Amino acid sequence: MAAVKRLGVDEVGVTELMAVTEHARAMSTKAAALLLECLDDEGGLVAAVAGEAGDETVRALLAEVRAVVPPAMGRRDVAALWRILARNPHYLRSTWRKEQVVMRDGALTARDKRRTALGVAMSVRGRYMIEYHAAVLREAGDGEADLLEILGVVDHYTTLNTLSEGMQIESDIVPPA
Amino acid sequence: MTTIRTVDPGRVTGKTRDIFDAVLRRETKVFGATTVSNIWRCQGHVADYLEANWERSRVLMQRGRFTPLQRELVATAVSVANACTY
Repeated sequence: MAAVKRLGVDEVGVTELMAVTEHARAMSTKAAALLLECLDDEGGLVAAVAGEAGDETVRALLAEVRAVVPPAMGRRDVAALWRILARNPHYLRSTWRKEQVVMRDGALTARDKRRTALGVAMSVRGRYMIEYHAAVLREAGDGEADLLEILGVVDHYTTLNTLSEGMQIESDIVPPA
Repeated sequence: MTTIRTVDPGRVTGKTRDIFDAVLRRETKVFGATTVSNIWRCQGHVADYLEANWERSRVLMQRGRFTPLQRELVATAVSVANACTY
């Protein structure tokens, strides 16, 4: 945390970064808990709402998701995760609103947030959200070298996190005065 | 609490010294650090291991298309996801 502050990120930026981190982690947990094994998986623990099914609220919400998510991912339909949450309109609405707030441009750019979310999904080995975030990034123009660069940071920090915990060292990276 | 003694950069020679010097140059430039951080000091007991991880740090954190901040955003998020307080 102190490292990003030393690179000029203020409290708003840090809060946005933590929001992306916890949101990306929670999204990966949801996908895994729903037994969604890959982005094309339609057969989760809970059945996804079919195309135009559901009440008016759900249809309106899914129309909103459909207008944003498939174009952003270069795909035809909304990822099943959103259509599963649609079984509870309140759950879908609150999660979709949060996704929009957390992942939009702010102190940090939407692109950097999405790359960070991919790093979190890689770190927790959540295949569904790895494919989801990677699809968004590819559609935005990221290529093989970019995805591998994100993995490289995840890889190296898996090493450093393990080492710092195992060697029980104290943090000496302090934020700027 | 630290239970394993870290290596004092003022008391090393050879390869370890060269790497600690390179680490400090890097950390001074990026973070304004004034001493070698504990994450590198704790590896100084085995010079070849320190060298292997420093080489990976150079390849993965200092080269590529992203800015240092873009890589550090991912690094911080991964560290939080791994519940690492360092």
